[in-house]
Amino acid sequence: MSKIRTLLICPGRGSYTKSEVGYLKLNKKYNMDIIDWIDKQRESKGLTKLKELDLISFKSSIHTSGENASPLIYACSISDFLSLNKKNFDFVCIIGNSMGWYTALALSGAVSLNNSYKIVQNMGSIMDLKGVGAQLIYPIIDDNWQIDEELLRYITNQVKKTKNFISIKLGGYVIIGGKEKSIEQLSNILPKKGVFPHTIPYHAAFHTPLLKKISSSIKKVISPSIFSKPSIPLVDGCGRAWSPFSTNSNDLWSYTFGEQILDTFDFTSALGNALKEWCPEKIILLGPGNSLGGPIGQILIKNKWLGYKSKKEFSFLQKVDPYLLSMGQKEQRAIIENF
Amino acid sequence: MSLFNRAEVIDENFTNLVLEGRFPTSNNEFSVSKINIISSQLISIFESQVLSRHMDLKARKLKNEGKCFYTIGSSGHEGNAVFGNIFSFNDMAFLHYRSGAFFLERSKQIKNSNPIYDMALSFMASSDDPISGGRHKVIGSKELNIPPQTSTIASHLPKAVGTAYSIDRAKDLSTIEKKLKTNSIVICSFGDASVNHSSALSAFNTASLIYNLGGHVPIVFICEDNGTGISVPTEDKWIEKIFKQRYGIKYIFTDGLHLLDLINKTEKAYEICRNKRVPVFLHMKTIRLMGHAGSDFEIGYKSLKEIEKNEFNDPLLHSSRILIENECLSKDDIISIYENSRKQIDHVFNYATLRPKLRTSLDVMEPLLKKPFKKKSPKHPINKYRKEVFDSEFSRLKRDNHMAKNINYCLKDIMLRYSNTLIFGQDVEKKGGVYSITSNLYNFFGSRRVFNSPVDETSIIGFAIGLSHNGFIPIPEIQFLAYYHNAQDQLRGEAATLSFFSRGKFANPMVLRIPGLAYQRGFGGHFHNENSLTVFRDVPGIILAVPSNGPDAVKMMRTAVKEAYEHGRIIIFVEPIALYTQKDLYKKGDKKWSFSYPSLEKEIGIGQYAVYGSGKELVIITYGNGLYLSLKAKKEIERMLRKKIKVVDLRWLSPINVSKLVEELDNSKYVLIVDECRRTGCYGEGLLVKLIEKSKKPLNIKLHAAEDSFISLGPSSTVTLPSKASIVKNAISLVNEQN
Repeated sequence: MSKIRTLLICPGRGSYTKSEVGYLKLNKKYNMDIIDWIDKQRESKGLTKLKELDLISFKSSIHTSGENASPLIYACSISDFLSLNKKNFDFVCIIGNSMGWYTALALSGAVSLNNSYKIVQNMGSIMDLKGVGAQLIYPIIDDNWQIDEELLRYITNQVKKTKNFISIKLGGYVIIGGKEKSIEQLSNILPKKGVFPHTIPYHAAFHTPLLKKISSSIKKVISPSIFSKPSIPLVDGCGRAWSPFSTNSNDLWSYTFGEQILDTFDFTSALGNALKEWCPEKIILLGPGNSLGGPIGQILIKNKWLGYKSKKEFSFLQKVDPYLLSMGQKEQRAIIENF
Repeated sequence: MSLFNRAEVIDENFTNLVLEGRFPTSNNEFSVSKINIISSQLISIFESQVLSRHMDLKARKLKNEGKCFYTIGSSGHEGNAVFGNIFSFNDMAFLHYRSGAFFLERSKQIKNSNPIYDMALSFMASSDDPISGGRHKVIGSKELNIPPQTSTIASHLPKAVGTAYSIDRAKDLSTIEKKLKTNSIVICSFGDASVNHSSALSAFNTASLIYNLGGHVPIVFICEDNGTGISVPTEDKWIEKIFKQRYGIKYIFTDGLHLLDLINKTEKAYEICRNKRVPVFLHMKTIRLMGHAGSDFEIGYKSLKEIEKNEFNDPLLHSSRILIENECLSKDDIISIYENSRKQIDHVFNYATLRPKLRTSLDVMEPLLKKPFKKKSPKHPINKYRKEVFDSEFSRLKRDNHMAKNINYCLKDIMLRYSNTLIFGQDVEKKGGVYSITSNLYNFFGSRRVFNSPVDETSIIGFAIGLSHNGFIPIPEIQFLAYYHNAQDQLRGEAATLSFFSRGKFANPMVLRIPGLAYQRGFGGHFHNENSLTVFRDVPGIILAVPSNGPDAVKMMRTAVKEAYEHGRIIIFVEPIALYTQKDLYKKGDKKWSFSYPSLEKEIGIGQYAVYGSGKELVIITYGNGLYLSLKAKKEIERMLRKKIKVVDLRWLSPINVSKLVEELDNSKYVLIVDECRRTGCYGEGLLVKLIEKSKKPLNIKLHAAEDSFISLGPSSTVTLPSKASIVKNAISLVNEQN
């Protein structure tokens, strides 16, 4: 049987929530060396071990802080990846969402697993110390997951008027970053829709020019020499591909700690590009959780991919013959393991 | 099999020869260390070359399965990936159809591009194709500044020159509507056979001529010389012979099979063109693989030995050798890139075959039925500025005047209102055009906005298209209607098709003024009296205006420029020469054809016709000189019939509001169409059919048109045309015959 052409997606911050407690332990590769190695590193710096964090009851102040959330998500994603039977899959492309970009770098081989952890841990910790501003999330879709372009234009205008920035384009949602006051101002302007606009706790203004200092700081800590060419193609947060042969590792470093931090992370384009330029047979969303599943479905619908036209259709086909396989979802994880 | 399926042979050869380490050699001595290039840049170019090759291979396979509709490929021309790498995406590119590798490589310069998928959709004629929407296999992209070309041979060159010229002109004039970056250039590629075409020669000549006058034409002409025009060989040194010494155009030769030579020479061409703002001719010598298209078997006109020799010179093999020699890649890496690309193209192309196609005529015609863009016109000019432009004539605007003067006034107001309008053509500058329509415009607006062109209508219309690509609204003048025929492909094949083949993403708005039609006194002969508009009749999407008097001309010209500015439309404005200075209608000195200049807000909408009289016995439908003659005839017909009649002036011939016109005829007993143009193919002929089709009752209708003859000189110059007397005669006979 030929290998399944697979697109890998690495989730970002916010994917480890209350329901994901114990996710790391569930993984067959729980005792893998890399997790132990990470925990040793954390222990030496006085940080709680990931294995412990994974088991204690969920507290936002602990589990969503940068120094804990990012490494925990990273560890879950890489352990999911390592658990995959490589004989069954041909990984044609890897993308990540926001912090998931660092995971993607690791899985593509552009940065080693150990060094990627260092990036994740450093970024998480620097964000806790020097991160400025806030983020809010707002939907731009209707109940049937159709994107409302007029609403998007309205939001974009309001974002500019209130001196905020589009932080992440996430399928049917936009995440907006800015100074706390500006975010508050915008929050009061945007029409209320259920829990939205929702200010995301413990999140700084990621992917905006406000993080200029962070970008400079991390460039001093992480050397370009730890970057190399990926062995699997990557698509970044600008929807740009990085090839295993023509990638210039200095450019990749420069993007990762420059544009990637300071400009909009366009996950919608990244996924759209990966679909169109590789036409994968399946998408695997690595854990923890499945919170990215909705935005992925919305992006598939936006691109009319495989003929998906609505949420109803997508949900139905996901049950019958899922195109998107989330490792954070029990039934779909079982499908992956049984390939 | 291998005699015919060279694609398969070339594919197999590549893998085998790379693994064997058997490569074509080159006399070129460039190495990576000698030129300013890094390994990753070189590999990126190679990846684009390989992907482009696999697109060609896959397209041929899918064509055989009936799933792909285009097989003219880029194989042999993959060296143009270098152009995609070196020229900025801000440099507008008018491309040869063998530019797959260029497109792939240029796409890497921008965020969020899907060049493989987009091209796959185009190959498969899918309505999802973002540029043509399944209307043609084109290489084009709004984001990459590549207007799609479906060029009849070399017909994209004149407009490329116009666009190049527009860049510095927009800077000089601080044109706010400009679309291209100030320091950008234009690149334009074509094949070796195409350079012999008159359209190409027009473009080269115009570029030389502008250079000679000290003007700036920052364009790199790229001749991708594969040595064959379909089956006809181009003599080895022909391109060099005719371009090495061309005045004002810097000639640079490059080996299209050698990546490093290509990079070096392209950088040189870029530097000269960008910094000196002069035209450069980059001659890329290359080869063609797999014939002209999938249906062309080279074995019919080349020996197998020649074909095999050519194939061994495969640019991909040359690139592989260079990459290995310079330690950028290993043999295994190259095979890996080649096979991974094959898989990638396979999957993307297979997926693209499933995407939807255009189904109905409405699907196909969608870009013709909608306006390319929506913009709001600037405010009318204020009197303070108008007084400066009109000078002593400002106080005379309310006086009655002939049409020529009225149009001249109108153009002054238009140039004041729309700062992005440019007027050009033979003699339009100081002389004010052959009929003084542009008189004094040069004095006030200067040579940057009003300038003479060479007597080359291909160049004039090409120039207009090019200028409009950069936000200008050109109002060029073609001296006489017959002269337009020299250049009709520029409008028919290029300007009119742009929105259609780009789903309205690109537009080339313009108002093309043409003094025309017959009945001139003292200026006879066919070429100054051409009486056929048929050439415009079947061109989808264009608007044709034929005013017959001063106020109509002014109000219609205002609408025309507004349509061009606000909606990107192309308007042909044919001005009846014989009526330019006509002041009288019934008798000498009655001044019933002299009118005062309409106030600024007055306009006549497209398709809006005029009705003279209200009689129901007979309706005469006409336009241009026909109106003038019909109004003269009206009195006599009414006297003879003892009944009132009415005369309809169509004003706009494309489109004609036939449904409304039918209502106009509802209570009329007889309909006479008077068309001053030659009977065969005239607008009246088409109108006759449409009115009969649309009318709910049988029509007593007749067409009175000019004879199918050319115009002669002297007293006989009008004998083949409708006259007042012939209109009266036809009208009376129509009514009497039916009774």
